[in-house]
Amino acid sequence: MKHVKIFHKIIALNIANILLILVTGFLAYHSLEQVLTKLRFMEIADSLNATFLEMRLAEKNYFLYAEKSALSDIEAKTEATIKTIESSRADIARAIGEGKTTRLESNLKNYGRSLEGARTGEGGAQSKVRAAGRKIMEFMNYITSSERAEVNRIIADSKRGLIFSLALILFTAVGVTLLLSARVLGSLKRVEKAAHLISEGEFEKIEPEKSRDECGMAVSALLSMAAELRNREEEMIEAKKLSSIGILIAGVSHEIGNPLNNISMLAQNFVELYDRMNRDEHVEYVKKIEEETERIQRIVKDLLDFARPQKPDFKQSDINSVIDKSMRLVQNMISICNIEARVELATELPKVYIDENQVQGVLINLLTNAIHACSPGDRLRIGTRLNPDGARVEVEVEDTGKGISPEILPHIFDPFFTTKGPGGTGLGLFVSYGIIKNHKGNIRVKSEAGAGTCFTIELPVCDL
Amino acid sequence: MPGFKVIVIDDEKIVGQMIKVAMEPEGYLVETFLNAEPAFARLRQEKFDVVITDLKMKGADGMEVLRTVKTAYPEVKVIMVTAFASLDSAVEAMKGRVDGFFAKPLKIKELKECIRKLLTPAEPG
Repeated sequence: MKHVKIFHKIIALNIANILLILVTGFLAYHSLEQVLTKLRFMEIADSLNATFLEMRLAEKNYFLYAEKSALSDIEAKTEATIKTIESSRADIARAIGEGKTTRLESNLKNYGRSLEGARTGEGGAQSKVRAAGRKIMEFMNYITSSERAEVNRIIADSKRGLIFSLALILFTAVGVTLLLSARVLGSLKRVEKAAHLISEGEFEKIEPEKSRDECGMAVSALLSMAAELRNREEEMIEAKKLSSIGILIAGVSHEIGNPLNNISMLAQNFVELYDRMNRDEHVEYVKKIEEETERIQRIVKDLLDFARPQKPDFKQSDINSVIDKSMRLVQNMISICNIEARVELATELPKVYIDENQVQGVLINLLTNAIHACSPGDRLRIGTRLNPDGARVEVEVEDTGKGISPEILPHIFDPFFTTKGPGGTGLGLFVSYGIIKNHKGNIRVKSEAGAGTCFTIELPVCDL
Repeated sequence: MPGFKVIVIDDEKIVGQMIKVAMEPEGYLVETFLNAEPAFARLRQEKFDVVITDLKMKGADGMEVLRTVKTAYPEVKVIMVTAFASLDSAVEAMKGRVDGFFAKPLKIKELKECIRKLLTPAEPG
């Protein structure tokens, strides 16, 4: 059954059901026909019985009251009866069988013969006629009662048969539907699971499909799609890496280019205007040059942090305590900026497997960004909670600050993207993104210009 | 070149300062801006001779400065400066009738030479 297509199964089972219905119908029809035949016979038998009664009455008149005309009356009736039987012989034979019909006929003939004996004045004719007449009556009574019993039996049988076959049809229909839906639902579950695993990017966990029916084929198609997706994903990651290296290089050249240009111009003017400047101005120029080199230094340091990340020191940690530590470090900034901060930590959170320093760096980065986005009186909230599926801990950093406009939102994780002017290197969120990804976590952002921003970090629960 | 008026737009403060310091001893009047919009406002108030603008800036960028200035004041000379020199940006600048195009680090002497030539009426020949 496993390799038969569901479509074929449905067709086959439907054909079986239709056959079952046809057989039931045929049986019911057959029983009806039988009953009808018997009823037709009963009608004939009734009229025959009436005739026989009249015959026997006439018989009595003839013998008791010596009515001469009665004999020919009986003869005519017997003739007529034989004719009636002959004309509906087929119906009668069908109802009671050939043997009984012949016996009825021979009984009648016998009666006729005994009547002839009576006419010729044969000795003992009276008792012969009477006996033959009685025999016919008895035989007819026997046949009608047995036929009546037969009709009852047929009706009872067909009733039973109908109930049984209806039950069978119902059972197969329901059973088949349940069986098929169980299989289809089962396969859909597998498809759903596979799709879920694909969306999670966990391609290795998808079980290969053995069944070759439609659902099996759907799963197989999904699997080949997953394989294709995995290839594409690898290609995409490569492309992304390349493009982020490109963005990085462009960013570096621009970011370093500006202070270099400043140093160059300061130096040119320093030489050119040296004689016209006093000592203080000389010192001021050189200080500015020093400041610009520091700017380059800062960029290079962030870049090195990014390019040569220290080996992360993963260990089981309580995310809430990391948040508390981070909050202590930014508390001063929050008070100075006159921001209302709220910490909403879920209790009894499972441990996460993280490098505390790195995650703290990410949190401080997010908190600092939030503080910078806020004006006095704005609110900042940091909270933790367990994902509904219990596999991830979520940290939310939310502010009611100026928000991020939709056109720059897609770029906030790009290297060197900053809205802070020369003060920011544009590497904070870029590095944070890398750190969270390195933790097999996820970082996402929701923002509305003018209304605020919410960063959500997801970290997998420690499963050690 | 006494009396000529120059606007410098660059989000790096030092660029404007250095150009101002280098050119004012030669009689130029230099005003510096960190972005384009206030410079546009200033241009509406008074006639300037040269606009020196950075290409890559937040808000209106150098190309927009070039277009705006050349549309409203065709006689004003526009010089583009960029740390992000690429063939594409140079070609685009040429199409926008830029009068000078410099890559950073900017050579102040070359910039001054360029401005001097731009402001000297062509020799009758």
